[in-house]
Parts: sequence; structure tokens; C-alpha cells
Amino acid sequence: MGNVMMAVSRTKVTAVTNLAALVEHECTNLLILYRKQENLPEDMESDRLVFISHPSSQLDTKSKLQSLHTGLGKCYSLLERAIALEEEELDGVETTEYKNTRGRLKGELLNLLKSTGGLLKAAGGKPIKVLDDSEPYQPSNLFHLKLWVYSVLMEVKFWSSTAIALLRELQAVAAKEPPKKSKKSTRSTRR
Amino acid sequence: MPRLLNILTSKPNCGPVWVAFVLLGISVLNSQAKIVLTVPQQVSLSANFFSQQLTISWFGGEATTFDLIILRTEFNETVFYNTVPAVMNQDGGRHQWTWTSVEPLECTSLSVKIRSRDGITKSEWSEPQILKGRDLPSNSVQQVYPQDKVVPVGGNTTFCCIVEEGNEFRDFLYGSIKMNVKRLSRRSYVTTAVNQNLSGPTGTNVLCRLKNKLNGSVIFVGYPPLPTNFECITNDLTSAVCYWDGGRVTNLYAKRKTSYSINKRDCPDGKCVLPEWDGNWTLLAVNPLGQYSLTYSAELLHRVVPVAPVNLSATDDAWNTTVNWHWPYSSYNTLALLCQVQLASHNILLRNFSGVGLQSVFLPHLHPNTKYRVQIQCGSLNHFLKWGNWSKEFNFTTKSYVPEAPDVWMFVNRDNSVRVMWKPLTQWQSHGVLTGYEVTLWSLEENENQTNNLSPKDNSLNLTDWASITADKKAIASVKANNVKGMSQPSSIMLGLIDDKCAPLAQTIYTSSGFPLSWQHSDNSTGGYLVEWCEAVCTSDCAVDWIRLDAGSTHVSIKDSIVKFQPGVRYNFSLYESPSVSPVLIRRWQGYIQELPPSISVNLEINQQDCDVVLSWEEIPLAGRRGFLLGYKVYRVNNFSNFTLLDDLSPEMRTYTVKDLSTSTYKFTVKAYTSAGEDTGGTAAITLKQCADGLILEILTSLGIVTLLLTTVSCFCYKKRRWVKKAFYPDIPEPKLPGDWSRTQGPMDVKPFPHSMVHIIEKPEWDFSKDTLVIIPEEEDYEGEGIGDEPVDTDEPQLLRYYNQVVDERPIRPRFPDSSVSSSSSVDSANTDVTYTGIQTSHSSLVFPSDSQGFSEGFQPHSGLSLSSRNKGEGYHPQMHSVTLGGNLASPEPIVEPHAVGSEGYKPQNSWLLDSPTEGDENSPAPSLGSPTSVASTQFLLPDRERHEEKRQQPSSAANWFTNLLSSAKP
Repeated sequence: MGNVMMAVSRTKVTAVTNLAALVEHECTNLLILYRKQENLPEDMESDRLVFISHPSSQLDTKSKLQSLHTGLGKCYSLLERAIALEEEELDGVETTEYKNTRGRLKGELLNLLKSTGGLLKAAGGKPIKVLDDSEPYQPSNLFHLKLWVYSVLMEVKFWSSTAIALLRELQAVAAKEPPKKSKKSTRSTRR
Repeated sequence: MPRLLNILTSKPNCGPVWVAFVLLGISVLNSQAKIVLTVPQQVSLSANFFSQQLTISWFGGEATTFDLIILRTEFNETVFYNTVPAVMNQDGGRHQWTWTSVEPLECTSLSVKIRSRDGITKSEWSEPQILKGRDLPSNSVQQVYPQDKVVPVGGNTTFCCIVEEGNEFRDFLYGSIKMNVKRLSRRSYVTTAVNQNLSGPTGTNVLCRLKNKLNGSVIFVGYPPLPTNFECITNDLTSAVCYWDGGRVTNLYAKRKTSYSINKRDCPDGKCVLPEWDGNWTLLAVNPLGQYSLTYSAELLHRVVPVAPVNLSATDDAWNTTVNWHWPYSSYNTLALLCQVQLASHNILLRNFSGVGLQSVFLPHLHPNTKYRVQIQCGSLNHFLKWGNWSKEFNFTTKSYVPEAPDVWMFVNRDNSVRVMWKPLTQWQSHGVLTGYEVTLWSLEENENQTNNLSPKDNSLNLTDWASITADKKAIASVKANNVKGMSQPSSIMLGLIDDKCAPLAQTIYTSSGFPLSWQHSDNSTGGYLVEWCEAVCTSDCAVDWIRLDAGSTHVSIKDSIVKFQPGVRYNFSLYESPSVSPVLIRRWQGYIQELPPSISVNLEINQQDCDVVLSWEEIPLAGRRGFLLGYKVYRVNNFSNFTLLDDLSPEMRTYTVKDLSTSTYKFTVKAYTSAGEDTGGTAAITLKQCADGLILEILTSLGIVTLLLTTVSCFCYKKRRWVKKAFYPDIPEPKLPGDWSRTQGPMDVKPFPHSMVHIIEKPEWDFSKDTLVIIPEEEDYEGEGIGDEPVDTDEPQLLRYYNQVVDERPIRPRFPDSSVSSSSSVDSANTDVTYTGIQTSHSSLVFPSDSQGFSEGFQPHSGLSLSSRNKGEGYHPQMHSVTLGGNLASPEPIVEPHAVGSEGYKPQNSWLLDSPTEGDENSPAPSLGSPTSVASTQFLLPDRERHEEKRQQPSSAANWFTNLLSSAKP
């Protein structure tokens, strides 16, 4: 944990955390708009679409960042597919708040994905390609498409929340570590 | 039947028995044919799940009608039962019937049975054919039908939900509306949405909620296509471009939106380009709810709409230009065109031009050094259909030219110096970039020229350094503008001082259209008018603007210009006649666009003047008034914010006096006010000094002067006392008594004049001795016979007593201690003006000191000393008036006792004896005056005749005064 923070400034981690918070906020708004547009019940459950191990505390920092980055990558691919399907099957010609928010979320999620890629790279990991090579989803009917889009949005929210939690954990651990300078000065004093 | 016919032909000669047998056989055969109908065979079902139609086909024998029954298999409920006509399929001879289900065919299994019918004769039911639903146990998942359906507005749609095996149905929602539900089978539930409205762009969701699961369907409700305004034109005289409007919004999007085709060529929305001019076109619009077609026919040359010209260019000059362009199609070279040119600079002009294959136009009447924007559109001249598209905007700038002559005016500054001004040339007037101004001054008197070259930014020239200009000495200023193309024509103005005192001044009120100024037209005015305006507080470089008006003008409204009108600033407006030749100021106005309360308060001075307070202040400077002053309000400040209005003064007032104030501290505020309100006010406070000091000082001064005067007179009289005595106080000769008066000392019977005691002295026959009378009005006398019953205030010296004083060489003594008030008392009788000088004592002050030697000799006071009532009518009582000190000394009625009229003789005072009351009787001729008294008297109550005559000619008051003075001055 400390190595990561040595390689990446705390400011950078804070910025990525803020970006993740922004994605989560945007996604929450989008879910509200989506439920309102589609008259979906509040207690509607969603299906899990990203099957990647959660960055649990037992993993090391690099593995956690790898897991997070991969999950966000899957989310981005799903969101892209969801937008494409909606435009193809459902969208009207009018510009709506839902469409605007959806476009912003896509851009912010891509930024978050790249930012976590930067952290992963600093931690010694290898960022994934944004393009998803898995077979694209084909809905059996439009209602299933809508349920799937809802699940995609819930997945984005889940992974943005995961990103926030993980990055705050990184910040907290880094804060406990003593600064570099004091170590150096201690050594020099001992000498 | 053919067999029957054969029987009839083979047995022609049989007997009646045979005929009977034949008939019987025929009837039997006929009866058997009527009873036996063929049961429909090979019944088959064909379902169209999208259209929810079930096609039933069978082989039905000879029957013409069939009974058809459709049941829900699981609950054995009849869905359909009816007799249908047999429609035989041509290929194969099968009968067929199509049934449209209200519910989706997937909802539950259906059983179909058919039987043949001939009238009332019917066959047996065929074996049931079952259309399996999706609610079979083998298909255990949750399902909703129909899916992704598109229906027209106002239709009804039935949805069914097949519950997941083992789960529990909860509800059906259409959008957010909870629907009524009907159960079709163990797992299948249906609901129907009726008279459906337009759905949202992404459709309406129909949700089937189970206990812990959710599924649903999406339905789109919209309209079939209805395009309008279909037409085709040509731009290039070869191809066809067809347009149409989508018409009513179908509310169907994405894959469900309307698709278009023209003459079976797919087209995008709204426009389609066809390579050839077909002459006839059919537009077909299709969406899931239906289709619609439109047709159009036209000749090529009637439908020409030229494209926009391209590659515009211009050959520009200062005052005109030629614009050229190109056509992208050579076919236009032979086409008669009508083109419209839009020329825009400070305004927009449209000009039309025509010609075959038109490619250039000449544009005259342009302005030098001006940027123009040009656009061109064209149409067919012979068969004009509509204008083609505008070309791209093309900009060009005309060449420069010499500037216009500037508008020159002069302004007389406050110091009477003259400022030559000219309006800066606009870009429209300058015809190019200005390089400067040339101002030439020509003094008419001295015939001298002076030229000043100024920068283009200058618009005025102060002539302070030049020869002075007065009303007599005049000059001419000429201004020319320069640019790269040369110098403008000169503009001249006659310079001279203008008398602004004789022009009438008025106020003008700002309106939304500016300051309205109006005047009477003068027939003498042939050179027009000029209105000049500036701030009233105009410094040497203040902004001045002017406008020239025609000779017939009688009004103008002045709006914001280079002189930016601001609230609270006074502006002067001056109207000049014949401004170009010899300007004459004929009217003046002043006005505000908005009046404000004064920004400067009066400088209040406060002074005390006696008991008054005088407030004074100076006029507020013009810049601080910010409006036309309506007056001043004078307030007295009682508390911190409690103002009491004392007066509202006219604006000319500069002082105000607050009168009759008591000694205290006062605070006053004077506020100037305009129509917009009062200023904050100038405040001053004053603490008033005792304002009675001056009065006291005046009184003291007066007293001092009187004292000095008295002293001077006294000294004079003392110095000249002999003369005074001789003149005013001669010795009184002793009376010469004819009888033996000295021995007989009885009371002198004096017969007073019947009307008044004072008349006594009018009797010249009376002689006076040295002794005079001291009259003591008797108290009892008044008590008993007082005039009326008026109460007598014993505290007040109401009664005077006169004692006869003996004028001798002895000093006058004693005097009563409080005799300082002794004075002459002039009792103005009704008949006589006589002065008695004597000692007056109040009744209360008749206290005789016991050690008074003088008194002990001749006068022994006692309690009963008085002119008693018993003595009334006797003796002499000349001064026995009841005199109230504060009242009227001249009693209207002389107090004369009736008895006194009858008294006899006169008894000199020196021989008067004090008679005891007991000694007197009613017949006693003389009243008792108490004990014998030797009293020095300075009075001359009974002068001799001559002196009496003299004395009657003299005023008595002065004599009294001098008598007293001398008496007091006697040693």
C-alpha cells in the first residue's frame, strides 16, 4: 500500500476518488431518471453482469486495483452496449435529460477507468484494454433489454462505489505511514 | 342416384308390386342419406402468434356448414362456439376457418373441435385438436405475452402472464396502473388495456409482478403514417428532387419508425433524389401500423428551382460595384433567370435582375469605404416556382473618397472664450480613414488667418490663445476634414459672443421620447434653427451637442447623445436662429431627466437675537441641487429622529426666525427639497442665553437717566431755592382776624361749599394764616357713613389723612417712619383743581412714636383720634375723601357730610384743640381733630385771592412736585 502511495501522489489518489464519487453520483441520478422514465418499481432487483472477484481486503494493493480496473472496464463495455442497444431499439428523436446524463456517465466512467489504469500501472499492474471481446448481449425482447440496461446501470454504480471504498482505503493506509523525510532525517541523525 | 337411374331403366314392365318396392326402396335410401353426416376429418391447427390468429382446416365431406368450438383446455372453458360456413380450399379440398383470439395464443392451451351441420342435422364432434400454450409444466419460467407489440391509439390489448412454476402471482401493471386480472389457467393470468393512449418514446411497460420476481412486456401505441406536401423539382434540369412532410407524428421510433419509398426506391425522411425526371412519382410511407401513399406529376421546365450561385466576386469602386458569380450546371446557360441581390451595410436592400444565364449584376449608388455583404438567389423567369437557395454571403468594401464637410458649431465657455466644435465624422461620412482636421481662423477685424491642424480624434478647438472675440470683434472658423483621398469641403461658422440674458428661460420635462422643446415659428427665420445642449454646470471641456433643424421647425425632442443624460444633472438647451450666418439665441430651457433630492445640504448658521433664534443659510450650489428646488423645510429636532416641521419656505428664502423661545438648547434642521424629496438637511444647535438681560439693562439705564435728571433738577432747585420759593412757595401771610380769635379758640366754622370741600378754596374771602389744615379722614366716619357698604381693607392705606401743618420756622417733625411715601396728592375735584401738599399716611401706618417730642406737644394720638362721626357736619373736612390708592382719585361724588354744610366759621389749625369725643355734641360747630397739634405745614390750601387766581392758571402737578421737593429739602 505504501509503495503505491510512494509512486503516486496522494493528490492523484484523491482526484481518482473524487472522480469515482462523481461517477457514482451521476449513475445514481441516471438510475433515478431511468426508473422514472420506465415506471420501474423502486424495489426492482437487478442481475449481476460482471463476474469478477471483488477486491477484498485479503488481496494486495496491486490485485485490488487490478480487480477494480477490470470490473470498471467490464462496466464500461456493458454501458457502451446498453447505449447502442437503446439507440437502436428504443430511442426517440428528442434529446432528454436521461440521454444527456447517460452520455456524461459514459465519459466520466471512461475517465475513471483510465485513472484506475494509471494507479494500477503505478502499482506494477497492467491495465486492460477498454474493448470487451466478450459476446455482445442480444435481448430476447425489449422488456428484457430494459431490465438488462437497468442491471448495467446498477453494475456501474456498484463498481463506482467499490472504487470509492478501495481508494479511500488506500488513502487511509497512506496517511498512517510516516513521511519519507522524517525517516531520512532519523537516519542521518543516527549516523 | 346413377344406380337408381339404372334400376329404373332395367325393369320397365314390372307390376304395381314392383313399383311399390321401388318406391319403398327409394324412400329408405333417402332417409338413410339424411341422417348420416360425415364427421370432419384430419382437423389441423395453424397458429400465427404475432397476429393471434388460429387457422383451422379439415376435411368435411358433403356438409356445407360446420359447428366450431374452441375451449381453454385446462379449465374446459368455451372461448368460441359458432356455426361457420364451409370455405373449401381449392388445393386439396380442405375446409378452412381462421379465428382471431383476443388473448395471445401463448397464454394457455386451446382445444378445437368441429362437426358437420346440415340444418338441424349434425355429425359427431371431431376429435379435439389442442394448440399447446406456453403454460405447460414443461415450460416453467415466467412469461408475458404479447411482446414488443405495436398498436394504434385507441385500441385494446390483452396481456397474459404465465407465472413461474412454484411462484405466486402478485399483480399486473400497465405503466404505473394496476390492472384487473382474469385467470385463464393454473399459471396464466390475463389483463386488457382498453382505449390505449400514446405511449412514451420507449414504449409502455406492462409489468407482471410475482411474489419475488418481475417480468413484463413493452407495448408501443402510435399512429400509422400520414405524409403530406409531396412534390418534386429539378435543380439541374436533369434529376428529380422530391420533398414531403412527415405529417402527423406517429410516436413510433427506432425500428418502428416510418419508412419511405418513391417509385420503389427507398428514401430517407423528407427528401429523396432521383437521378431521372420520371414525370410521375408515388411516395409510399410504411410503419407497423399501416401504410400511406401519395402521387405527384409535373413537367421538367415547370419545376425548375436554380441552385445557389457560387464563387461570387466584385469589382468595386467608391460609389458602385459589379458582382459576378458562377453556375455549377452548364444547362443554366440557356435558362431565363430572375435573380435577387441582397445588399447589406447599415441597412438591407433587395434588387432584382433578370437575364438568360445571368452571371453578374451592376450595383450603383454605393457609399465609399463601406463594407457590403451580398447574397444572391435566383428562380426560373418563365415558370417561376420559387426562389432557389441563397448563395453564401460575399463581402466587399468600396474604395475611399474625400470626406464630407463636418458640422461646425461654436460654444461660448463660461469665461467667454469661444470653443469651435465639429461633430466627429462617422465612418459613413468620412469616406475613408480620417487623417485629421484643419481649422482655419479668420479675424474679420484684423484680417489675419491662422490654421490649426488637429488629429482625427479632436472635435473642438478652444480659442483662448487667439485674438479675443467680443460682440463687436468677430471671426470666422472653417473646418475641413482630411483622409487619404484628400480634403473635404470647408464648413464655416461665424464666431462671436452671444447675449444669453434676453432669451426667455423655461423648464422642460423629460419624457420617454426625450426632452420636448417647442417654440413659435418666426417668419424672419430663414436660416433654420439649431438646438444646442449641455450640462448646466459646464466646465471648459464639457460635452456639447447640437442639432440643426429646418426653418419651419417648431419642436424637437432631444435624446441621449454624446451628452449622456444622467439623473440629477441639470441640462441647458438653447435654441438659436440662423445658426450658420449670425446665430441669435431666442429661447432657453433647463431640465432633468430625473430629479433627485439635493445631494448637498445647506450650511446652516444659527444665532440668537434677543429671545429669537435666527437661522440662515447659503444657496445650494447648482451641482448639488439635482433638481429644481421647491423650497426649504425648517424642522426643530426634538429627539434623535423626531422632527417637527416649523415652516415650509420658498426657495428664495435664506433666513428663518424662530420666535419666543425659552432658555434651553435647540436643534434645528433645514432641508432643501425638490420634486424627488428632501436632502439630509443642514443641522445646527444653539443654547439660548437669558434673553431678559437686555430688558433689565434697559430698565436700569432708564432709571439711571431719570435719577440723573432728578438729581440735576434738584441741584438746580436747591441753588435757586430762593427764586423757587418766591415763585412757587411764597410766604403765606398770617390771617388777620377781625375778632378776638386768639382768645376764643373754638372751631373755625367754615361753611364749605355745598358741593365740595374743594370749593372751599374757591372762596377768596377765606384768609389763610400760617397754619394750614391737616385733614385726617376719620375712620369711623367712613365706617358709619361710608360711601356705600364697600369693605375696607385695613391692610391697605386707603384713607389719607391731612394734617394741617404750621408753616413756621420750626422743623417739621415728627414724621412718620413710613412717610417716605408722602407725596402730593392731587385730588381732582369735580369743580376745583387744587393741589394739596402734605403728609399722607395710610391708615395702617398711623403709628406715632411715643418719644416724638413734636407730637407730644401738640398732638396726642389715641385710639379714638379721628374725625368722629359725631363731628360730622361740623368743622372743615376738605380732604375727607375716601381715597383708594389704586383707584380713581377723583371721586365722582365729593364726600361732604350734609351736616358740614351747616358748620359755621373757620378755625385755624394752630388754635385747634383736640376735643374729646365726650366734649362734643351734636351741635358742636367744629369737629374734633383730636389733641391740639402743632404741625408744620407746607401746604397752601387756602391761598389769598390773587395767588389763588394765579394758582388756578398753573398746573397743579408740577407745583405739587416742587412743593414736596422743597418740603423735603427744608432744613
